[in-house]
Amino acid sequence: MVFLSNIVMIMTRYWQLFLIKGIGYTLLLSVIAVAGGAFFGSLMALGKRSKIKILKWIITAIVEVVRGTPMLLQLYFGVFVFPKIIPPLNALPYIYSVSIVLIINSSAYVSEIIRSGIEAVDPGQMEAARSLGLTQRTAMLSIILPQAVKNILPALGNEFITVIKETSLASTFFVGELMTQEIVVRGTTYLALECLTITGVLYFVLTFVLSKGLKRWERSMKAHA
Amino acid sequence: MLDIKNIYKNFGDNHVLKGVSTTVEKGEVLTIIGVSGSGKSTLLRCMNLLEEPTFGEVWMEGKLMTPVDPYLHFDVIRASNTYKSLVAEGMGDEEAIEKIKAEDLLKEKHHGRAEGAEYAALMKKIYDENHIDINLGRQKMGMVFQNFNLFNNKTVKENITLAPVKIGKQRLKDAKKRGETVTKTAADIEAEADKKAMALLERIGLQEKANVYPSTLSGGQRQRVAIIRALAMEPDVMLFDEPTSALDPEMVGEVLDLIKDLVKSGMTSVIVTHEMGFAKEVSDRVIFMHDGVIAEEGTPDEVFNHPQNPRCKDFLSKVLY
Ligand SMILES: Nc1ncnc2c1ncn2[C@@H]1O[C@H](COP(=O)(O)OP(=O)(O)OP(=O)(O)O)[C@@H](O)[C@H]1O
Ligand SMILES: [Mg+2]
Repeated sequence: MVFLSNIVMIMTRYWQLFLIKGIGYTLLLSVIAVAGGAFFGSLMALGKRSKIKILKWIITAIVEVVRGTPMLLQLYFGVFVFPKIIPPLNALPYIYSVSIVLIINSSAYVSEIIRSGIEAVDPGQMEAARSLGLTQRTAMLSIILPQAVKNILPALGNEFITVIKETSLASTFFVGELMTQEIVVRGTTYLALECLTITGVLYFVLTFVLSKGLKRWERSMKAHA
Repeated sequence: MLDIKNIYKNFGDNHVLKGVSTTVEKGEVLTIIGVSGSGKSTLLRCMNLLEEPTFGEVWMEGKLMTPVDPYLHFDVIRASNTYKSLVAEGMGDEEAIEKIKAEDLLKEKHHGRAEGAEYAALMKKIYDENHIDINLGRQKMGMVFQNFNLFNNKTVKENITLAPVKIGKQRLKDAKKRGETVTKTAADIEAEADKKAMALLERIGLQEKANVYPSTLSGGQRQRVAIIRALAMEPDVMLFDEPTSALDPEMVGEVLDLIKDLVKSGMTSVIVTHEMGFAKEVSDRVIFMHDGVIAEEGTPDEVFNHPQNPRCKDFLSKVLY
């Protein structure tokens, strides 16, 4: 009973920190990561299909390193290294460096999503297009990509959900997302279990609602195929 | 019309075609038979360069579609540094050429420099004088696949009009860029393609299916649409790769009938098939492929009734028709 009333107390006092600031920053960081990831990830996927060997090699290296090292380490790395490479970052809060790391991380995963989305399209589709005398470019734009998008978008949605959870690691640098707020409130109230529960529920609701929404949208997309 | 010159195709260490040459004449119907894995599909796909031959040349209506294969041109071999040094060592002309061909001694086969400027210049000259853009060449060749390969994201009619419209519009753009006066508009091209697509659909009795997606069609219907999709480009030759192999037996007839119709109207065709009765009926010439080479070739009567090659005899005794 005390547990529940503590939760009510915390929420009435600190709801703005959790619901506005926390969720706001979490969603903001996630959107930045996935939007940036979609942009740079597309370029990387394109680069990987190019004939330039060095470009392919560099992209492969980035993807493998990002996938093969922990996110937390990447964040530490970014926060210490990026301000050294880009001096203006020194004067700015950590969230800028953190955003860059999130974008790079997401780009690597998204580029793989796009690559496998394209590869999942039956190669016969490209062959048929080329056999009619269409150029590689036209075949890609009118036949392959529209079909690949159907594979890519759902996976991109899942990536968004994963990123929402991963942004919690950025709380190490106090960037203001949901987990940061949890640390702040826990520090002033000393009610660890209550604060963790609230935060857990909020993360769960966020990802659950999003994934249900995605499923529904995916179904409607399939129905119109 | 379609000239295949000494085609080799390797997939890594797998030597699938080992020197295949043939000429398909205008109006001719050539069928290719042979056991599974003998390289029939690969040969057909080399004809429109869906597979790039490792050696050899493909000529469509007098135009070169592949890079120049130096081994097919004595003057090119004679211009090479390798030949010159062999002759300088005292080797005779014929012997040197034989050796170079047999041992694949020309190091830079395409537009290279390692064989000297004279060689490179000659290679370039032959290429420049004869080559045709690969997409232009393919527009003259329709291809029909075993698995239909209709565009899943397009309706039946869009499947048929896509290539004529895209290519028509591109030609229009190019003509304008060259400063030619054009009377046609993009809308005209679309309207024409549309009209032609409906006429073709009517020909196969599927006009009510114009606006549905391929996934709703039966296999036989899909293959017939795939055939008229190729016809919409008004090709000069049609390539069929086992057009009925993926079909339920009851649908084979409708597709074969359409092909017979086409062939009777004079369409030059190359058909890879396991339907021996059909091959016997429609072919002007039959090729039996074995292990990457043409093992037997002749009229249907010669190949089916009096085969000489033991492999071919064996193959025919095992298939029912
Ligand atoms: N893209 C490819 N990569 C590697 N090997 C290939 C490829 N395509 C074909 N092959 C190989 O080439 C050989 C000949 O294949 P091909 O498809 O030409 O035979 P086929 O005569 O058409 O047989 P089938 O009657 O089964 O269609 C086979 O051993 C096959 O494994
Ligand atoms: Mg085959």
